[in-house]
Amino acid sequence: MRAYTAYTAKELTEFTRTYKLLIIGLVFLLFGIMSPLAAKFMPELLTSFMPEGMQITIADPTALDSWMQFEKNISQIGLFVIVIVMSGMMAGEYSRGTLVNILTKGLPRRTVILSKFTAAVLLWTGAYLVCFGTAYAYTWFYWRKTVNTPGLTEAAFALWFFGVFLVAVTILGGVLVRTSYGTLLFTGLAVVAQFLLNMIPKVEKYNPIQLAAGGTPLLQGQLEAGSLVKPMIVAGACTVGCVVAACAVFHKKKL
Amino acid sequence: MNILEIEGLKKKFGSHQVLDGLTIHVPEHSVFGFLGKNGAGKTTTMKIVLGLLKADAGEIRVCGERAVYGQTKTNRFIGYLPDVPEFYSYMSAVEYLRLCGRITGMSEKEIRRMSGELLELVGLKGVKKRIGGYSRGMKQRLGIAQALFHEPKLLICDEPTSALDPVGRREVLEIMEQVREKTTVIFSTHVLSDVERICDRVAVLNDGKSVMEGTLEEMKEKHKKDSLLLEFPRKELLKQFVEEPIFQNLLSRAKLEGCQVIIHAKDIEQAEAELIRGLNETRLMPSRLEILEPSLEGLFMEAIQ
Repeated sequence: MRAYTAYTAKELTEFTRTYKLLIIGLVFLLFGIMSPLAAKFMPELLTSFMPEGMQITIADPTALDSWMQFEKNISQIGLFVIVIVMSGMMAGEYSRGTLVNILTKGLPRRTVILSKFTAAVLLWTGAYLVCFGTAYAYTWFYWRKTVNTPGLTEAAFALWFFGVFLVAVTILGGVLVRTSYGTLLFTGLAVVAQFLLNMIPKVEKYNPIQLAAGGTPLLQGQLEAGSLVKPMIVAGACTVGCVVAACAVFHKKKL
Repeated sequence: MNILEIEGLKKKFGSHQVLDGLTIHVPEHSVFGFLGKNGAGKTTTMKIVLGLLKADAGEIRVCGERAVYGQTKTNRFIGYLPDVPEFYSYMSAVEYLRLCGRITGMSEKEIRRMSGELLELVGLKGVKKRIGGYSRGMKQRLGIAQALFHEPKLLICDEPTSALDPVGRREVLEIMEQVREKTTVIFSTHVLSDVERICDRVAVLNDGKSVMEGTLEEMKEKHKKDSLLLEFPRKELLKQFVEEPIFQNLLSRAKLEGCQVIIHAKDIEQAEAELIRGLNETRLMPSRLEILEPSLEGLFMEAIQ
């Protein structure tokens, strides 16, 4: 247990000192500010870019628009940034050979994986909270009472959960392929595979990608929160599966 | 008691048989020199002992316990210094050692004591900068400190001196001499002078097997003096010497090199007497006559042929 906390602390130090924390913090803070702002000023922007004499009617922006922007930004660029940063977690250790000293001290290999997963999830959660908090504050500032859009808690939680799942996939990829580009490719393929599987109606109900893709329809009231339970169970099982598989594979890796 | 026992170790990379039934025993409290050419399998052997590589066959026991690939249980007895040790560059030496201490389950008090002691030993006390800014020699010394941190019974060093300048090399060897009282040291190298300086036992690895093993004295004793070196000031004199019929008997097992000739004989004293008598008769005066001590280099070259 002490080895686990020590190694997790090492990972968190690494995030701070290699500026990963700073980068992710700033990016997510930016999204937190931008989502409500974009929703608020999009109509004005559009009208100002319209050619003269042309008229369109755009509905007044609401808190719902702000949260839809939030869902869109995080589920696309936000997760992408997280995966890029995490893709180097295992690759860096492999390529620099820094694990040799640590493992020959008797640190169990699975502790390395569990610590890295913990630290990555902590970073993701922290960044997500910053982003959500900022977006909440701005949305409240512009729209006051309507800030708590129906389905917001469920949608926000589902997106966070999908992020955790993606972190686990990235860790497994990192253990398997050794390079950060390879890890990116692995995670990318995993996401593409989920999109492809979504085309089969029977699978769609269980597909973890629903957690990210279902946020907007949920906020719009086109989807019931209950329909995210099955994807969540699958994503949870897959997360555990990925971490267990990463430990098992790492046990057999030569260094 | 043997601290490390390797029996019949085999390892193949592709079609290349790196280790082919290697057997080595390392007794406690020795400094064990592990010699071999580049690519002889020294690093491979060490990595298998540490559970970083999988062996195809054979058994390894560290302090009587079996070492298993992927498991790191026996590593609690071992301190390992890789040939080029790598650290987290964003940490300072003290922070890195604290991490090492914590993952081996040492108490904070012990960690502070050992850090102080070891950083003093390797001359990094008071160095505040991060490891990223260290020179190679400093990294090597920190490598020794981290390897010794949990007071291992066995210290394995993979070519600890080969990447260093003469000053760095001397420092590292001195540190290793200092720690020999506390722990057993295995030390792979191809620098023979380092071996002669600090090792008391040696094994020579060739074609995946140990071709020579024992104490330095034993090995030199076995290959006792049997060669005479004769040097002439000019080549013509050497030519004259070689053509002289009186020496033909001696020259049947000789090697010519520049102005020198090395004569091998079973009874070295008789050969020497014969030679001096002949030189006296022919008035051929060498500039140097010497009985050759068997050098480690000579033994090494002989072993790997």
